[in-house]
Amino acid sequence: MRKFGLTVGMSSNTLTVAASAKNAYKIYGEGDEAVYALRDVSVDFYTGQFTAIMGPSGSGKSTLMHCIAGLDELSKGSAIIDDVDLSTMKDKALTELRREKIGFIFQSFNLVPTLTADENIRLPLMLGNSKGNEEWIQTVINTVHLQDRLTHRPSELSGGQQQRVAVARALASEPRIIFADEPTGNLDSTTGAEILSFMRKAVDDLGQTIVMVTHDPVAAAYADRIIFLADGAIVHEMLEPTAERVLDQMKTFGK
Amino acid sequence: MFRIALKGILGRKARLVLTSLAVIIGTAFLAGTSIFSATLNSTFDNLFTDVFKSVDAYVRSSQVIEADFGAEERQRIPVSLVDVVAGVPGVKATAADIQAFARIIGKDGTPVGSDGAGPPTFGGIYEKSFVSLWTIESGKAPVGPNEVVLDKASAETGKLVVGDKVKVVAQAGSREFTLVGIASYGDVRSPGGATFALFDLPTASEFLVKPGFIDAINIAGDGSVSDVALAQRVNDAVLKSLSEDKNTTAKIETLTGAQITKETQDQIGSALSFFGILLQTFSFIALGVGCFVIYNVFSISAAQRLRENALLRAIGASKKQITRAMLIEAIVVGIFGSAVGLVGGIGLSRGLTALLNAVGIDLPSGGLVIPTNAIVQTLVIGTMVTIASAWLPARRAGKVSPLEAMRSTAIEIIETGRKRIYWGLGFIAAGFAVVSAVIAGASNSYLGIGILGVFIGTIVLGPVMARPVALFLGRPAARFRGVTGTMARQNSARNPKRTARTASPVLIGVALVVAVTALAASIKGQINEVFTQQLKGNFVVNTNNRGFGGLSPSLALDIAQLPEVQQASGIGTITGKIDGKGQFLTSISPDTVAAVWDFGLINSQYSALTKDTIFVAEKKALNKNIVLGDKISVVLSDASVRELTVAGLYKQDQFGNYLVSKEIIQGTTVPSFDIGVYIRTAPGVNESTARAALQVAVDKYGQGDLLNKQEYIDKNSGNVNQLLGLIYGLLFLSIIISIIGIIITLLLSVFERQRELGLLRAVGMTQSQVRTTVRWESIITSLFGAVMGILLGIGLGWVIVFALKDQGLTTFSLPIGSTIVIMLLSFVVGVLAAVYPAWRATKVDILSALNTN
Repeated sequence: MRKFGLTVGMSSNTLTVAASAKNAYKIYGEGDEAVYALRDVSVDFYTGQFTAIMGPSGSGKSTLMHCIAGLDELSKGSAIIDDVDLSTMKDKALTELRREKIGFIFQSFNLVPTLTADENIRLPLMLGNSKGNEEWIQTVINTVHLQDRLTHRPSELSGGQQQRVAVARALASEPRIIFADEPTGNLDSTTGAEILSFMRKAVDDLGQTIVMVTHDPVAAAYADRIIFLADGAIVHEMLEPTAERVLDQMKTFGK
Repeated sequence: MFRIALKGILGRKARLVLTSLAVIIGTAFLAGTSIFSATLNSTFDNLFTDVFKSVDAYVRSSQVIEADFGAEERQRIPVSLVDVVAGVPGVKATAADIQAFARIIGKDGTPVGSDGAGPPTFGGIYEKSFVSLWTIESGKAPVGPNEVVLDKASAETGKLVVGDKVKVVAQAGSREFTLVGIASYGDVRSPGGATFALFDLPTASEFLVKPGFIDAINIAGDGSVSDVALAQRVNDAVLKSLSEDKNTTAKIETLTGAQITKETQDQIGSALSFFGILLQTFSFIALGVGCFVIYNVFSISAAQRLRENALLRAIGASKKQITRAMLIEAIVVGIFGSAVGLVGGIGLSRGLTALLNAVGIDLPSGGLVIPTNAIVQTLVIGTMVTIASAWLPARRAGKVSPLEAMRSTAIEIIETGRKRIYWGLGFIAAGFAVVSAVIAGASNSYLGIGILGVFIGTIVLGPVMARPVALFLGRPAARFRGVTGTMARQNSARNPKRTARTASPVLIGVALVVAVTALAASIKGQINEVFTQQLKGNFVVNTNNRGFGGLSPSLALDIAQLPEVQQASGIGTITGKIDGKGQFLTSISPDTVAAVWDFGLINSQYSALTKDTIFVAEKKALNKNIVLGDKISVVLSDASVRELTVAGLYKQDQFGNYLVSKEIIQGTTVPSFDIGVYIRTAPGVNESTARAALQVAVDKYGQGDLLNKQEYIDKNSGNVNQLLGLIYGLLFLSIIISIIGIIITLLLSVFERQRELGLLRAVGMTQSQVRTTVRWESIITSLFGAVMGILLGIGLGWVIVFALKDQGLTTFSLPIGSTIVIMLLSFVVGVLAAVYPAWRATKVDILSALNTN
C-alpha cells in the first residue's frame, strides 16, 4: 500500500506509518446532488517526516486532515492513527486520542484566552490529568524560545509568540503526530518563516511527525514531502521540494 | 434601519427567546397578581350582591371603634328594635343579625377554622326569613337553647353531620348543642373561609352577646317606597322609639341595601387588598430583579454584535441608527415578552386560586376576570421596563468605533472605571450617612432610603469586586477540579461586569433574606429574654386571637378552682377609644395577676387598679406627658365614656400601652376575651399531674393550647417565623429569577465562546470536562452573589436592629445557620442553572467552531 512511500534519504524499510487514510471518501448530500470532498484517497504519513498537503481551495486538503485527526468523520473508508481505526471510536475515546496522540496547530485562535502561555502549553496534559515529561516540556519551551513569556496571557503576546505557544502545546504531550492547518496563514512572512523553522527543528532535532495543510509554496518548501490534492483526490507527490518546484507544479493545476 | 433591526431579531431566534424569558418572568407575576386580585374582588362582589339582594335597608349602631389592623367594634343594639322596625309601614320582613365571636369544636376535639391568624370565626343568628342571608341546605332551622346550625364548610371540616353533638365556645363559655341543620351563604359553603355557628335569636343573643342585644337588623321592603325612603322611615321610627327609652345609650343609623352591600364589598376588598398589595410587592420585586437580567442580556448581545455594529458604522450608519436598531429590538422583545407574560399570568392566577382552595380558603365560584387595566398595565410596564433596561446597552452600542470592525478578535472590555468606584462608594457613604442619622435619632422612615442607597452602591461596585471575589471563591474549584476548575474560575472573572450583573438577582434576594433573618433572630432573642423574666407562672393557656374573640374569660376562673393550681389569671383585651383613636386596652384581674405575670409596676400596686383607674406604660406616659393623677377619657364600644384616673405606670409594654381592670366592663355589652390564661401550680404538684389536670379543664372548652413556660416562650418566639415565611417566599422568587438569569448569561457566554470551546474539544477536552467547566463557572457566579448578599444583609440587619434599639431590641444575633443554608442553596442554584447551558456547550461542533472567523 505504500504507494507514495518512497525513499526520502532513508531506506524504505526503516519507515513506520504514524497515520494513514485508506480508500477515504467524504460525501456531502445524497444522490445527484452529492458533493465529493474526498474521493477514494489512500495515503500514509511516516514517523519522523514533515509532510505538507497542498491544493487549491475546495480540493479537500483540510477535510482530509480533519478526518485523519479525528475531528471529522469519513463517509466511507478508514482513517487510522497508531494502528487504530478512528471510525470505531466513540466521542470520549476520540477525545482522549486527540489529547494523547495528536498535536494541533490552527491558523488562528489557538490559545485559551484565560490561561497563561505555560498553562496553554500544558493544556492537553492537564486535561488528561497527567504531568507529562517535564524534561521534554522544558526542551520544547527552549526550542521555541518562550522561557520568559510563560506567565503571560495570550492577549499580552504577539501573533508570532501566540503561534509559538501553539507549536509548543502541540509538542508538549509527545504526540504520535502533529496536524497543522495553515499555521502561518495569519502571520507576516518573517514571523511565518520563524514558526516554520521551529516546526522543521521539531522534526529534525526532536524526531516529531508533522502533517501541515497549506497553500503557500514557501511554507510547503519546509516539508520533506508534499501531497497535492485536487477535486478530492491525490494528484501528485513531491519529495524534497523547493518553492520554485512547488510553484511550477501548482501552475499545472490551472490548466 | 428598521428592517435591519427586524432581520437581526429574526436571525437570532434563540437570543430573542432568551431575552424575552427575562421579560416574561417579571410580567407574568405582575399580570398574575392583578388578575388574581380582580377575580377575587369580583367574585366576592358578586357573592355579596347575591346575599344582600333582598335586603333593602339595614339598621345598626352608629357607634363604632376602629382599632389597629382593621379591627372594628360596633355598639350593640336592643333586640326590641326588631319589633319597632317590623311595625314600620312598607316593611315586609325583618331578620335580626349578630356577628360575634364563636368557635366550633370539631368531632375530634380540635377547633374548626384558624386560630387568630386567618379568616374569623363567627357566631350568628339563623331566622327563617325572606331577608336571611343564609339558606338551610339540609336539616332544619335551630330552635331553642340547645340547637345549632353550621355553615357547610365548617361541618365538613369538623366531620359533623346533622344529629351530632357540637361544642361551641363563645364569650359566655363553652356549651354543647345538637347540630340540626347545615346552611350555605349564597352559593358558597362559607364566605371567604370564615366559620359560622348559627342559633335562634334568643340563644344567640344570650350566648354570644348579652341577653336582649343584637348587632343589626336586615330589612326587606314591600316595594311600595324606594329603598332610600324606606331607610328614612325606619330610621325615624327607631329614633322615636329610642327617645322614649331613657335607659338606652344606643345610637342608630339606617343604611339602604345598596349601601350595606357596597360597604361589605369594600370591607372584604380592603381585607383582600392587603393580600393584593403583598402579591403586588412580590411582583414588583420580581420585575425589578428581572430588569437586571434584561439589562444583562442586552449588554451581552451588544458586546457580541460589536463587530457587526462597527461594520454598519463603517459603511455609514449613524450612532443614532445603531442605538435605534437596538431599541427597536427592545420594543419587540418587550411586547412579545409581556404578551407571553400576560398569558403566563392567567395561569399563575389560576394556580393561586387552586393554592388558596387547597389551604382551605373557600373562594366563591366565578369566572376569571381579566381587567383591561391588567392587560394594559402588563404590556405597558413590561415594554417600558424592557426599553429602560436596554437603554444603556443601546447607547453603548451606538458609541462603537468603526475601527472595531477591523480588529481580528472581539475584545471583551474588562476594565472597570475609576468613576464606578467613586459612584459606588458615594452611594454607600450616602446610604450609611442616612442610616447613621436614623440611629442618631432621625425618623425610622428614612431607614428605607439609607438602605436603598447602600443597595445601589453595592450593585454599582459589583463589577469592581466581581473579579477578585470570583477568583477567590474559585480557588477551591481550581485546586480540586484541575484545569477545568482553573478555567471555570478564570471564566467567571474574565468579564466582571457580566458576572456582577448575573449575580445581582442572587445578591438582592440573599441580602433581603439575611437582613430579615438577622432581625428575626434578634427579635426572638428579645422575646425569650423578656418572657422568661415576666412570666411568673409555669403554665399558660394560649391563643393567637387578638382583637376579635379569644378564650372565654370563664376558663381562667375554672382553672383557678383546680386543687393543683395555686393561682390562675386571664389577661385579655378590650377595644376602646382614647383621644379619638381606637386602641386595644389590656384587661387584667388585679387581685390574681401578680402571682403569674410581672408588668414591672413602677411604685404602684395592682390593687390600685379599679374600675375607675388605669395604668399607663412608662414610655407612653413620657411620650404623651401623662403623670399620675391625670384623667384619661376612654370610650367603650357600648358608647359609654369612662373617666379613668392614671393610678400607676409600668415598664413592660409587650401587651400594650394601657392596663385596665376587667371590672370596668362588667354588666355591659362590651366584649372581652382572654388572649391567655397564666397559671402557677400549687407547691408540691409535679408537672405531669398538673398538666393532666389542666388539660381536662382546657379540653372542656376545646380551645387554647396548654403550654408550659418553655413551650410558651418558644411559641412566642416562633411567631416571628411567620415573618420569615414571607421572606422565604421572596427567597424562592429570587432563586427562580436568579436561575433564569444565570441560564441566560451562561448560554450567551457559550455562544460567544464557541471557538474557544471548539479548540478545547480539539485538543482533548471531553464532553464531561466541558460540562464541569460550565457548571463551576455557574457555581462561582452564584456564590459570588450569595457572598455579597450575605455581607450586605448582615450589615443591613445590624443597622436595622441598631436603629430599632428604642423598640427594645438590644442584641444582634448573627444568622449563622441561615448563612450556611444560603451558601448551600446558592451552590445548588449554580448547579441547576448550569444544566442546560453545559449541555449546549458539549454540542458545539468542533469544525464549524474552528472555521468561524
